[in-house]
Amino acid sequence: MDPLEELLATAPQRAAAAGTLEELETLEAESIGKSSALAEQRRALPKLPAEERPQAGARLQRIAAELSTVLGSRRAELEREAEAARLEADRVDVTLPGWDLPGGYLHLINQTIDEVCEIFIGLGYQVAEGPEAELAWYNFDALNTPPTHPARLETDTLYLDWGDPRDEILLRTHTSPMQVRWMESHDPPTFVVVPGTVYRADPVDATHLPVFHQIEGLAVAPGITMSDLKGTLAHFARQYFGPGRRVKLQPNFFPFTEPSAEMAASCFACDGSGCRVCAGTGWIELMGCGMVDPAVFTAVGYDPAAVTGFAFGMGPERLAMIRHGIESIRYFVDNDMRVLRQFR
Amino acid sequence: MKVSLRWLREFIDLPTEDPSELEQVLVSLGHEVEAVERHLPDWSGVSVGRVESIRPHPSADRVRLVTVTTGSTQREVVCGAWNFAEGAIVAFAPAGSTLAGGVELEPRAIRGVQSAGMVLSERELGLGSDHGGILVLDPDTPIGAPLEDVIGLPDVVLDLKITPNRPDVMSMVGVARELAAYYELPFRTPELQPPTVPGRSMTKVTIADPEGCWRFAGREVSGTAYGASPLWMRRRLQLAGVRPISLVVDVTNYVMIELGQPLHAFDRDRLAGGIIEVRRARGGEMLRTLDGIERALTPDDLVVADRENAKALAGTMGGEDSEVSESTTNVLIEGAAWDPPTVMYMSRRHGLRSEASARFERGVDPNLPPDAVARAALLIIELGGGESPAEPIDEVARAIQPVSIELRLADVTRVLGPGFTTQSVAGLLRRLHMEVIEGEPSTVTVPTYRRDLTRPIDLVEEVARLWGYDRFDETIPTGASGGWTREQKRRRLMWSILTGAGLSQAVNLPFLGAEDLAAADYPEDHEARSTIRIRNPLNEELSTLRTSLLPGLLRSARANTSRGAEAVSLFEEGRVFFNRRWGVDERVPDQPERLAFVCLGPFAESRLGQPPRLADFDTAAGLWRRLATGLGLEGTSIEAASEPGFHPGRTGRVVLAGNAIGFVGEIAPSTAAAYGLEGRVAAAELDLASLLAPPAPWVFAEPSPYPAVDFDLAFELAGDIPVAALVDATRAAGGDFVEDLRVFDVYTGPGLAEGSRSVAIRYRLRSPEATMTGDEAGAVRQQMIVAASALGARLRGAG
Repeated sequence: MDPLEELLATAPQRAAAAGTLEELETLEAESIGKSSALAEQRRALPKLPAEERPQAGARLQRIAAELSTVLGSRRAELEREAEAARLEADRVDVTLPGWDLPGGYLHLINQTIDEVCEIFIGLGYQVAEGPEAELAWYNFDALNTPPTHPARLETDTLYLDWGDPRDEILLRTHTSPMQVRWMESHDPPTFVVVPGTVYRADPVDATHLPVFHQIEGLAVAPGITMSDLKGTLAHFARQYFGPGRRVKLQPNFFPFTEPSAEMAASCFACDGSGCRVCAGTGWIELMGCGMVDPAVFTAVGYDPAAVTGFAFGMGPERLAMIRHGIESIRYFVDNDMRVLRQFR
Repeated sequence: MKVSLRWLREFIDLPTEDPSELEQVLVSLGHEVEAVERHLPDWSGVSVGRVESIRPHPSADRVRLVTVTTGSTQREVVCGAWNFAEGAIVAFAPAGSTLAGGVELEPRAIRGVQSAGMVLSERELGLGSDHGGILVLDPDTPIGAPLEDVIGLPDVVLDLKITPNRPDVMSMVGVARELAAYYELPFRTPELQPPTVPGRSMTKVTIADPEGCWRFAGREVSGTAYGASPLWMRRRLQLAGVRPISLVVDVTNYVMIELGQPLHAFDRDRLAGGIIEVRRARGGEMLRTLDGIERALTPDDLVVADRENAKALAGTMGGEDSEVSESTTNVLIEGAAWDPPTVMYMSRRHGLRSEASARFERGVDPNLPPDAVARAALLIIELGGGESPAEPIDEVARAIQPVSIELRLADVTRVLGPGFTTQSVAGLLRRLHMEVIEGEPSTVTVPTYRRDLTRPIDLVEEVARLWGYDRFDETIPTGASGGWTREQKRRRLMWSILTGAGLSQAVNLPFLGAEDLAAADYPEDHEARSTIRIRNPLNEELSTLRTSLLPGLLRSARANTSRGAEAVSLFEEGRVFFNRRWGVDERVPDQPERLAFVCLGPFAESRLGQPPRLADFDTAAGLWRRLATGLGLEGTSIEAASEPGFHPGRTGRVVLAGNAIGFVGEIAPSTAAAYGLEGRVAAAELDLASLLAPPAPWVFAEPSPYPAVDFDLAFELAGDIPVAALVDATRAAGGDFVEDLRVFDVYTGPGLAEGSRSVAIRYRLRSPEATMTGDEAGAVRQQMIVAASALGARLRGAG
């Protein structure tokens, strides 16, 4: 057999026998390198008679191409293997923790406040904040709570030793005074929620702190009714605790709303059949609410004959405690890193 | 208000036996049920018996043999009690019955005589702890009746939380009235008129303070016997949560619970001069109240006095020396209408909250006193004997008439929605015992026990309450444009930046103490000392409003390290309070919001095998830069500063657009030590409004397509020249060509002049217009070196 044809016939076998890229390079030099028989014959082509040259040239071309294909595919194979070996040597234990990147947590109370506020933002409410050291007028008088009301006693409200004693300054007992300030400076229609810190003369226990938070809401426009109050709070309950919540209103008393109500939602944990979360009642009391008392409108300069409205107030600590199973409100001010890290 | 359903049924025929239905109805009317108590007899097989005969025990003289009949059977028992005679009606437990505690009674022999049961004491029945002997029942108690029927068991007690606007429901009649309105049923009031003898009351009553006392009614009962009230009355008082004392006192409490009018009983013989004067207390006047406390009265106190001195605090508590006692035979029952705030302030002032003051401060029907004292006289005479003159005492200083309110249908529908008519509204109000003349407007006359109803809106609530809150639809009105303000959005961006940098948000109570001011060693005139105190603090720890957020954060840090935490990284926002006027509203104290953080121990990223970096000045400065960059604050700088509480050499004043907005650095070691903290504590406290004020929109800079030129310069810089000055000077010298520069090394040590530092800076120059030539870059570099030398900084390695 022609030596070149034989070389071609044995090439696959010899390529496969090359175990490393170095061995393959040797084989390449022998087969298609400058000093290979193939190269020599190519160099000898011009010396052939003119009529033989095309055929001989074509043959050499074919053999060279076929050899290159065989050797090239073996080269690719060996390169893949070498790459795989290199990556294997680079292997790490993927169960190691990796970089310890910094990360902190937003306090649960602010997560809760934001979640609630955003539900109302979705209904076109604005969010207002206001002073905590407040005039008694905004905290009480403007909210239909006369000077003789028991809530104004020093046993319930913290007063500041500041300023003119006739303009009593206190630590606001609810965020409603900001609703009054808002109405003083904004004409109706008014749709606003007011989150913030509030204060009461309550000693610390599992459910009380002297300083805690409230989110109050206010909607005032011509034609607002009790049904609007009920529908809005039902929407809130379904957004916060999940679809399917039923709500009920039951009569209650607050000086600044009339009619006044306590709002409860069917328990999210047992859907109303009664469980530990709802103390077996099937219902979770969420907030006080009611239709804004006309005396409040008069105090802020709204015309009680032209508008009606509703107001509500809820405790974000309580919302979060219910949802996350937190038994004591003290965890909200402990700042224990083990607790803060759970606020995810 | 504890409501026994058996007692309640005296006033209304309830259509249900189911306490949970009543609970739902009461809640729907606005009366929250806080507890449902089920009272069951502690015994079984005990019945009413009569003592037929008593004979001595043959071999023991401290016990007797008593024969008891329960009608059908007679049994002889051995009995050690001596407080009864033949004919007495007793509670009899035959052998085989069960007593309190589940003990089954067995027949047994006592000193040789077989005893076939027991005659029982109150204690053995679980009814009380009376050791005085066996329970002797009223003579007319039916023989053979099961004892539980006589005692009034089983019974259910609903504990109602009555809202402050509804004092009229703080009575059995009041609760019956509410249920009658709901069920559209009639209700009953008790028999009121006592038997009387002709004549006038002897006590002369003067109301000297018509502001405080609107009406004073009284009934005298002469010649009544002192003693205990009957079992049924004591039982009812106990179920209502009132301790039985004696007949007269029990009757006053019984009538209070029954009708809602608190009463007081005086021993009439101890009222000097036989007169009563209602007046304000005199300066220096003293009164020893029923609880045995000698009280100094103030001219704000309203008292019931005799000719000589105060005998009772009006509507709050009686005095000891005129109280009804064993020697009392002649009593005066007082029922009055007091000004609610007067009673409220008085009861708080003296720390005396009673069932009476709780009712008076909310407002009792001012026209109830005459009926209530009549009812009390009736019960006293019925149960203890005595007689009462036909002409009672009734002084009226301020007549209270029923009010009439004009109510338009629109008043109702604009709040409650359509679906009401003049007739339906009138129907609902009539069920609540109001008189309605239908029209537009309708005229509604309100009973005087509903003093909370004065305006149309008050009636609207009544309509809604009785109609049913659960019948309203659910509709959702929306505002025109909601959303966070820009400042609110920036606050949330700030939260992301800080939590992303590894800090967790803390919330502290906004108070501080003298020890916090001492820990930072604030000088006398420092603003942190211009604190505001709370006038009525819960305790000393919660008495002074904070002027800095750092004390709270340092205490939180300490609490964490003492629990074993290695790393603590906290930030907090909140108001601080200063004793000066607030720029936003001058009527209230200055109360700006601040942002503060503290970091101690390992901070930020680390990886295996490499020790973590501990928080220090660089942490604080780096956090500030991250915050300033993230919030897009421009024109910020830090300059060396000293501030109490901060490390004198490691603290910078933060300047934003020319205004100092706070401090960043390390806490002074002595301050940290005062909080029990070891090691460096990185910290900052900044004015929050300055951080959140939205900056002007940033302006786009076209990125240059031309290549950059990078080079490093190392300068020897005197220790008292801030690196920032060198950076600023060289940046200014490079002008618009300087795309970036970064201090990458600061070195002190050999080869440098004493106190000097080597500061290495990497510069990147790029021209916006063309590729910079070597000559152009060299010229800029040279200008930088010249600018640096103006600060005394010498280029290193340049000879």
